[in-house]
Amino acid sequence: MTEGTELAELRQEVRGWLDANAPTGWRDSNDDHEAFAQSQREWFAKLVEGGYAIPHWPAEWPGGGRNLAEQKVIYEELARADTPRLLLSFVSTYHAASTFFECGSQAQKDRYLPKILEGETWCQGFSEPNAGSDLAALKTKAERKGDVYVINGQKVWSTMAQYADKCLLLVRTSSDGPKQAGITYLLMDMKAKGVSVRPINQIQGDQEFCEIFLDDVEVPVEERVGEEGQGWAVAQATLASERGLTLMELSYRMRGALWRIAELIRKNGLEEDAGVLRDFGHLVARTDSACAIADQFLRNRIDGIERVGDASIVKNTYSRVLREYSLLGTRLGGMEEQYRAPITFGDLNTGNWMADFMNSYAWTIAGGSEEVQRNIISERMLEMQREPKNWVVS
Amino acid sequence: MIELNELKDAAQKAFPADQLSPDRDESWKLIAEMGWLMLPVPEELGGLGLGRDAATALHFELGRVLSSAPLITAMFSVQVLCAADKLANKAEWVERACSGEFITLNMLSNDVTLNDDGTLSGPLYAVPDADMASHVIVFVPGLSVLVPLDTDGVTVTERPLWDESRRLFEVTLEKCPVDRDLVIAEGDRSQEIGLGFKAESLLALAADSLGGATATLEMTVEYLKTRKQFNRPLAMFQSLKHRCADLKTQITAAEALLWSRAADMDASLADMGALKALAADVYQFVTEEAIQLHGGIGLTDEHQCHLFMKRAMLNLSLGGSGDELKERTGRQALAAFAAK
Ligand SMILES: Cc1cc2nc3c(=O)[nH]c(=O)nc-3n(C[C@H](O)[C@H](O)[C@H](O)COP(=O)(O)OP(=O)(O)OC[C@H]3O[C@@H](n4cnc5c(N)ncnc54)[C@H](O)[C@@H]3O)c2cc1C
Repeated sequence: MTEGTELAELRQEVRGWLDANAPTGWRDSNDDHEAFAQSQREWFAKLVEGGYAIPHWPAEWPGGGRNLAEQKVIYEELARADTPRLLLSFVSTYHAASTFFECGSQAQKDRYLPKILEGETWCQGFSEPNAGSDLAALKTKAERKGDVYVINGQKVWSTMAQYADKCLLLVRTSSDGPKQAGITYLLMDMKAKGVSVRPINQIQGDQEFCEIFLDDVEVPVEERVGEEGQGWAVAQATLASERGLTLMELSYRMRGALWRIAELIRKNGLEEDAGVLRDFGHLVARTDSACAIADQFLRNRIDGIERVGDASIVKNTYSRVLREYSLLGTRLGGMEEQYRAPITFGDLNTGNWMADFMNSYAWTIAGGSEEVQRNIISERMLEMQREPKNWVVS
Repeated sequence: MIELNELKDAAQKAFPADQLSPDRDESWKLIAEMGWLMLPVPEELGGLGLGRDAATALHFELGRVLSSAPLITAMFSVQVLCAADKLANKAEWVERACSGEFITLNMLSNDVTLNDDGTLSGPLYAVPDADMASHVIVFVPGLSVLVPLDTDGVTVTERPLWDESRRLFEVTLEKCPVDRDLVIAEGDRSQEIGLGFKAESLLALAADSLGGATATLEMTVEYLKTRKQFNRPLAMFQSLKHRCADLKTQITAAEALLWSRAADMDASLADMGALKALAADVYQFVTEEAIQLHGGIGLTDEHQCHLFMKRAMLNLSLGGSGDELKERTGRQALAAFAAK
């Protein structure tokens, strides 16, 4: 598509900035966790300085207030220049920020939003061993004692918790009534006494997520978002940002990484293989449709006409196309891909195809699994009847 | 300026969802009366000069009701006439076409050649509704021309389709003279026109497919909500819900691409081909699933499932096969991501 002059200028500007500032060689150093975290921090600080870290934030923030078309240009250029995806600050700039913008008190906004730009990182402590898809069944307990909540329990699958300064924490403050009604949303300091973190080894050799153990951890009452017992509604704001906004960036990143398949086709001399070209052509169309649906979703959200289930469609589209992308790469790479090669932390389209394939499950499982999204689409959008509640399992 | 939503509403009123495959000739009259054929015609030629999204909205709505009127073909040929630079009395031709004189053209390739004596010979494949057309537009390298179907040397043979809501003919030319007054364009210009509107017909087929897929899924979900087995609505079974959710996801994502391509004036022929291939695949899968989800009734002639399924199968092939179109997209992408 030919761009209007303003967008074309922005593209030139971003490209020029990236020529001077994009990190190089980060893929080689990234199989070392500390080096990875360090390079993530440096790259985030640079992006903040350049004004490209938070294009989706409101305009009063430096680098914020970009419209959709501008965001797209920025993400496309970041992907094209093969810059690292901001995994370490992902939860901070999306989940935490959206939660503050939508539900935070003024004091919380003033305290935490500027800190995010200074590099303070957040993790998300929602899931528990027995509360995954059924998140509202969470049991981590918080007892009010004067001005603090005292917390005991365990969280799991918390992305980047090993590096996080703060945690978006869901706790149970009451066991009465429906399970959603007893949930409260807290902001926890990861350095507080009684917090311990244990990284989990993943199948591709990464340690993206962690267990968090909470043993009499004290969180001041003013660190609560919303009222006691209203945490479920606040959590929806956090989750909505994950299902909607982030997918625009990721879809365009995937599109920007299609050259990796082209390169693989050339490397393996498959340029005239009709079957391979078809599969590639189909993937291109699927990727374009993932971008189109992410675009449409954000336009609808801005126009206030988002429907329940829309975000689920966006997520299930992106996550499936991501799987198809990495699977095609693995297939085209052939035997070569079966030799273990160093992985690149934090990126979904790295060109280490086996690792990318394994990593693609992150999007069909995390943030509400593909099956859970199907439930939402069928029951809430297509209005197919729900099963009776409260099955008794003997 | 007509709003897209108004156009959709008008289309839904004229072609209500509960009347599938309405009579072709009456539909055609209605379409001409509504002035739809003028939508893409530039204002200086007496049309409305609307963008591609307007036509796309109509094709989508007509796809929903399995319209049997040849609107896709007609819009293609009207636009070819508008782009003509050699045609004598062009304005009059455009007006004739807009007011309901049907001019057809082939939806698949042709094997027509320009003979040394300047006449045309050879077959045109998949020519829609030639029985109601006055002329066929013939493209041969370096020339496009209107050929009256009642000329000596033209034979028109219907080839009945499984999809009875569409009618296709094979038109064979045997030493048909080229009337200089009926020449549309020559040289590169002719080629350019043909390819330009070929892209639009692919967009139209994608819209038709996704309109049909949408209707098929709605019908299927409705059925599952009302049909009871094991003392509960079938819709309550999660295995069926999830299949419907996947169909909805596939349709919605493909539809997002449809509207974005409709608005993208720089989309290439390969881009439109990729869209059509994707949309036709989705339509095919939705209709395949629809029959399965209906059970036995889905196999009966009297139920509507098979009507959509047959249209979907036809759309897989019309305008070029998925294999061909996807390969072209792959080639284009390979070239776009040139070696570093
Ligand atoms: C890479 C990654 C990062 C993550 N990051 C975080 C994080 O930062 N913070 C955080 O709190 N959590 C995080 N999670 C956790 C994530 O939210 C959960 O894994 C997810 O909600 C699924 O829960 P579970 O793993 O317990 O699976 P389960 O809920 O046990 O599900 C197992 C299987 O059953 C299916 N299933 C479950 N319920 C239903 C149902 N009702 N109908 C049909 N099928 C069903 C599921 O789809 C799945 O296929 C992360 C997960 C991953 C993979």
